[in-house]
Amino acid sequence: MAWNKKKQAEEAPHQRYTRTTLLIQIIMSVMAVVFIAPLLIIINYSFKTKKELYLTSPLSLPSSFQLDNYKKAFDKLNLATTFTNTFLYTAVSVLILALLCGTTAWAIARCRARFFKFCYIYFIVGILIPYQALFLPIYIIGYRLNLTNTRYGIIFMYVATGISFGVFLMNSFMSTVPIELEEAARIDGCSVFRTYFTVVMPLLKPAMATLIIMQAFQIWNDYLLASLYVSKKELKTLTVAIQSLFSAQTSDYTTAMAAIVISVLPIAILFMSLQKYFIKGMTVGAVKG
Amino acid sequence: MKRNNTMEKNMEKQYLLLVLPGLIIFTIGLIIPLLLAFRYSFTSWDGMSAEKPFVGFKNYLDLLQDPDFRSAWWFTLKFTIGNTIIQNVLALLFAVALDSGIKAQKVYRTAFFVPCLISALIVGFVWLKMFSNVLPAVNELLGTSFNFLLFGDGKTVLSGLLIANNWQWVGYWMLIYLAGLQSIPGDLYEAAKVDGAGAWTRFKNVTIPMLAPAITICVVGITTGSLKVYDLLVSSTKGGPGRASTSVIYQTYATAINGRQYGYGSAMSVSLVIVLLLVALIQVKGLKSKEVQQ
Amino acid sequence: MKKKLISLMLGTAMVAGALTGCGGGGDSAPSEAPAPAENEEAAAGAAENAGGGDVSEPVTLTVLAGQSTTDAGIEDMIDEALAEQYPNITLEWECVDWGNDFQPKMQQYMQSGLPDIMIGKAQDVATYAPQGILGEIDATYLDRGLDAARENVTIDGKTYGLVYNALYQGVYYNKTMFAENGWEIPKTQEDLQAIIDDCKAKGITPFASHMVDTWSIGNVTMQFMMNDVFNNDPEWGDKFRAGEVSFSEDKAVQTAYQYNKLIFDNTYPETFSTEQTDCDAKMVLGEAAMKVSGSWSIQNFLDIDESFDFGIFPFPNQTGDSKLIFEPNITVMTSANSEHQDAINCVLDVLTGNKDLAVEIYDYTKTASMLKDVTPTFANPSQEDIDKYAADGMIVDVTLGNNQLVWGGFQEENAKDIAAWLQGDAEFEDALKASDGRVGASSAN
Repeated sequence: MAWNKKKQAEEAPHQRYTRTTLLIQIIMSVMAVVFIAPLLIIINYSFKTKKELYLTSPLSLPSSFQLDNYKKAFDKLNLATTFTNTFLYTAVSVLILALLCGTTAWAIARCRARFFKFCYIYFIVGILIPYQALFLPIYIIGYRLNLTNTRYGIIFMYVATGISFGVFLMNSFMSTVPIELEEAARIDGCSVFRTYFTVVMPLLKPAMATLIIMQAFQIWNDYLLASLYVSKKELKTLTVAIQSLFSAQTSDYTTAMAAIVISVLPIAILFMSLQKYFIKGMTVGAVKG
Repeated sequence: MKRNNTMEKNMEKQYLLLVLPGLIIFTIGLIIPLLLAFRYSFTSWDGMSAEKPFVGFKNYLDLLQDPDFRSAWWFTLKFTIGNTIIQNVLALLFAVALDSGIKAQKVYRTAFFVPCLISALIVGFVWLKMFSNVLPAVNELLGTSFNFLLFGDGKTVLSGLLIANNWQWVGYWMLIYLAGLQSIPGDLYEAAKVDGAGAWTRFKNVTIPMLAPAITICVVGITTGSLKVYDLLVSSTKGGPGRASTSVIYQTYATAINGRQYGYGSAMSVSLVIVLLLVALIQVKGLKSKEVQQ
Repeated sequence: MKKKLISLMLGTAMVAGALTGCGGGGDSAPSEAPAPAENEEAAAGAAENAGGGDVSEPVTLTVLAGQSTTDAGIEDMIDEALAEQYPNITLEWECVDWGNDFQPKMQQYMQSGLPDIMIGKAQDVATYAPQGILGEIDATYLDRGLDAARENVTIDGKTYGLVYNALYQGVYYNKTMFAENGWEIPKTQEDLQAIIDDCKAKGITPFASHMVDTWSIGNVTMQFMMNDVFNNDPEWGDKFRAGEVSFSEDKAVQTAYQYNKLIFDNTYPETFSTEQTDCDAKMVLGEAAMKVSGSWSIQNFLDIDESFDFGIFPFPNQTGDSKLIFEPNITVMTSANSEHQDAINCVLDVLTGNKDLAVEIYDYTKTASMLKDVTPTFANPSQEDIDKYAADGMIVDVTLGNNQLVWGGFQEENAKDIAAWLQGDAEFEDALKASDGRVGASSAN
């Protein structure tokens, strides 16, 4: 398995620390600072008053440590609700996606009938559909099926838009699942379903982790579908709430900056504390492909 | 054709049951809207009124002569090509650098990765501020006079957007390359070393081939993502100055929605889907065949 | 081969199924919302609603608010006032950016059913009323507003919009700077040029501008067109559609476009990287003498320095008879098919009848009142100038131009071409030709 090898690599790096390594270390440190700088700027802005924003250099530190912007952003974002919603939509969608994409990709990979080949192409087309440009038909369909302004509606759409990539990812992973095991299970009299759930799915776990994490990013940060399907206050997501801070109050940057910090912080902390699993999950499936 | 194998048929049915739920959701959520758009693309519907007058291929013929649409394509292509090259190269370089045995790898990983946790909408806004306020202030501080006003000129706006987009995504693809690198067995390098291969030869003959699957994922992901660029523009350049950074989707949105020409805009989306389809097919075919060879 | 055929057929069948299954539904009656006998209800509501009707049951009304920079925040004020007067009514707000998101949201809701109340701009009435989806506003409430408020939101004798406040547009100028340098308010282009020359001689930037915002270019272009085109020919837009005039041939329109170049040549070089807030700050800090803008800048001006002294004058036209531009801003529209007409009327009652609320909103947005006997209390240094132009009858409603040449799809797109021209990416003639080519999109209907 890939991560076993990775572990080995981590435990016994095949390079010594040489002068070149030091040079690389220095270059990468500079790059890291460059990458982090904009984030620090955001944080700096988020503590400034409106007046300081206009009158002082963007690089200067705020004159006093005040949390007004955060209070305002907290209020405006309706954080408790929007955060729960975003979390709920993301979690449920990715779980459904993991389940559906696994079964779909497996069936497509194993069944040689033409229809399944067609299905594969059919799903792949989805990766390419720019759903931003289809917003009105998507809304029309959603409205007709009573999906708008409901939790299951928005989840439905996330699944629909994410399934293509999921099938693509899972399918490329499928070649690593040893078919002999499945055949053995079948000889033991397992049905297709049982074979999948008892034999195949456990082997797909790394790929599923990849899928879950990749999709979770997408869904967490999605703006368009959420704004299209949800207009009720109690169903709104974080990105939609933030966007309204941007567009409506373009002059109130400081509050917007605080809102950015608030929205990024939880997921950043989550990432940092679970980094190991995160990266493992995110990449194993992709690399194996 | 007639394989009278009931077992096979029975299994096929079960497989079908596994595929069906996904197929239905996907069809309702994405394919039917696409077909609706396809239908609208033959009308002059304004997106509001009840009637949708049929106009045949007029929208498509108009598209061919629409200079704004052409320039939107031109921008999108430049953006996509630039992104695919820069992002892949940078991500790979970063991954190699991080894998070269430097200390505190995790810290770097986090630093490069965190930007992709932010939505593109916010990234655009942040870089707007960076280019117009923050970096000029850096100039002042250092007494330098770099031109940082990249979003302010049609000639530099592309580079500005490439910077913003790469800032956001390099870390993401880097992780994929990194995992790929770390899954390459060390003895392969040892063997190459014994054969007297230098660093570059080893990179070319061992690393790159072993990374092929990761490269496929990254290239396809970056190109299709870049061709669909929209969110980033909404909060930064708004397609400007002028139309210098108007992407196909941005132009489609502006035409279909703000311009109340839904039929015409639908023709734009349909043409985009077709192009995306072709590009992806070619890429997947090409890259996959290389993977097989190696 | 056969297998291929089968799969192809299957595919086609699926596609066809999808097309008929859904396409059939797609075109039937998109804009009719459920309308159970709301007419009697509405009539009843209007009758008892002389001062706002009774709503005994708790009602929730949906509101789509297309806001611009300065309006965000008024929803809380309205909620508060409503809670006091009509505790049974709650508003469910959906606040979006007017420029980017109002039209898409409206299109979206026209497929499903409009919110009970929509807040947009006066020009929206011309866009949506002909679709037959807006409700008529009761005279009770209209009568509480200024007569000027009705003019451009009335179609065929029926008024579909309640105009709540107004913006003034023109050239904002630094009064102190004008006094120090002995500059007079310019009436003609020559006067203006003299000030520009003097500015340059003294190292002052003549104009503050933020051309990174395409909307700003579009906005000032309409200001120019009002005084150089529409003042002489109030039906220019209709004639344009009739093919009698065009951008490529009409010298007056070209002059209006050319003023953009005048601004561009006399502003700081980074205008295409400067946002409104930074631009307004430069103005307040005395780095620039003038700014072609609108009342939306006042909030910024006073936020930065509450003692900033500024005035306003119309951008001089060729004939020296420019009028100050007036724009009805927040405009309340109602759905023709709402089930809660009484409740809507209650909201209108609060908006037009509650003077404290009105003053609070005007003071917050720094805009002018469109209600009778209501005057905002904030100190507006430019009020003096506005009063002067008003007394002389030198004010013109920009809705005239905005109704004839719509913003979305026309003015907005033209502004992009103007920006490209200013940047040197396109020829002036190209910009004119492009505007002419857009004639089909110049009207909402």
